[in-house]
Amino acid sequence: MHQLKDFEKIYNENQVPDQLEFYILKTMRREKMKIKVNIIKKIGLSAAALMIIFTGMVNIHPSFATSMSKLPVLGQVVKVVAFRFDTIDHDQVHAKIEAPVIEGLNNPELEDSLNEKYISEAKGLYEDFMEEMGPIIEMDGHLGIDSGYEIYTDTDQILSLGRYTVNTVGSSSTSFQYDTIDKKQGLLLSLPSLFKNNDYIKVISDYLIETMKSQMKKDENLIYWVQEDGFYVFESIDANQSFYITKENKLVIAFDKYEIAPGYMGILRFEIPTELIEDLLVNNTYIK
Amino acid sequence: MLKNYLLEKKEAHYRMVYSYTKNSEDALDIIQDSIEKALRFIKKNGPPDHLNAWFYKILIRTAIDHIRRHKRTTLMAPEDFEHIFTSEDHYCNFDLKSAMDKLPAHYKTLIVLRYFEDLKIKDIAEILDENINTVKTRLYKALDFLKIKLEEDDDASA
Repeated sequence: MHQLKDFEKIYNENQVPDQLEFYILKTMRREKMKIKVNIIKKIGLSAAALMIIFTGMVNIHPSFATSMSKLPVLGQVVKVVAFRFDTIDHDQVHAKIEAPVIEGLNNPELEDSLNEKYISEAKGLYEDFMEEMGPIIEMDGHLGIDSGYEIYTDTDQILSLGRYTVNTVGSSSTSFQYDTIDKKQGLLLSLPSLFKNNDYIKVISDYLIETMKSQMKKDENLIYWVQEDGFYVFESIDANQSFYITKENKLVIAFDKYEIAPGYMGILRFEIPTELIEDLLVNNTYIK
Repeated sequence: MLKNYLLEKKEAHYRMVYSYTKNSEDALDIIQDSIEKALRFIKKNGPPDHLNAWFYKILIRTAIDHIRRHKRTTLMAPEDFEHIFTSEDHYCNFDLKSAMDKLPAHYKTLIVLRYFEDLKIKDIAEILDENINTVKTRLYKALDFLKIKLEEDDDASA
């Protein structure tokens, strides 16, 4: 006969990977970073001052070569400042961080505050990366960060862009933040500002839950956290849920990795049929 | 609080998930997904009453979801497993390690949760979404299969 302690001994023989602790900390910290990003928004440093700090720091570290380029893209409205960090003597770490800089908006205050936000968040990513790099190299691990932006819509009326950050440590995590600007009026659009009242929250949430459930029924490889299992169930979008507007004037509701589904489902975006929300919109300037 | 708990129990969590996945990469993914779920739950509802039982529930259900999707390892239904108990082959050359390898994860889990995590049968039933009697029966079957004899102070029924 055997004893429990024999079981325990064999059970505990299974080796635990060295990176486990790092994985846990990384996952915990990712959540904290989202909070930090919100705080940074409120710090009132000018973009120019931050840029100096930023590039200054890059030069201090000898293992990175840096180049800064200012590339005009997309006509008069958006220009890009690209900060690029390329590893030269280390194949274990890689970083590429780019922040968009908006120029030529008819509302200089909005322009400044957006640019400040973009630059200070990029700086935050860079600092975090530098902090993590040492221990990772020591552990013989790999670390990568890729941050940049995508432009979804750039018409006379609307500029919609999303900034992404891909963190690679073993597995990768991606997060997105979106901004949509009314160029004519110099306004940053929020989701509530598009609608007459709060009814949109329920209408959109119901539509999403139904869509996710029917997709799961059709394809058993898809999992969304919409079924009651006792811990986290998606019930409703946030009043200020991430969104952008497409070239075709459609509203897209966006979710980060892990927000409503397991990690392997990645970033999720759903286009909302206009007829569903038509009556709730303030007007059809942006969404048609 | 959650962070300290996760770091302290990381090996136990990993081994439990591994017994379902038999694969280190998937085990790490499941741990990550579970932490994300836990953080979201806490953000919405505040800290849970019984952290340990609560986190095991997330961990095990996330593992089961994952296996259903991947089908890399099969999640043997309890009924399918019954024949192993009745077959004779494990009586010859019996060795605990190979018996443990044969024992499906959700039986192994019972032993771990009951004796090493010191959870009550009632809590285990809740974690696995089974009734109390089923859990008790399976726990005894698992012990019997592994030919584990309980000491005086190991009480299976608590």
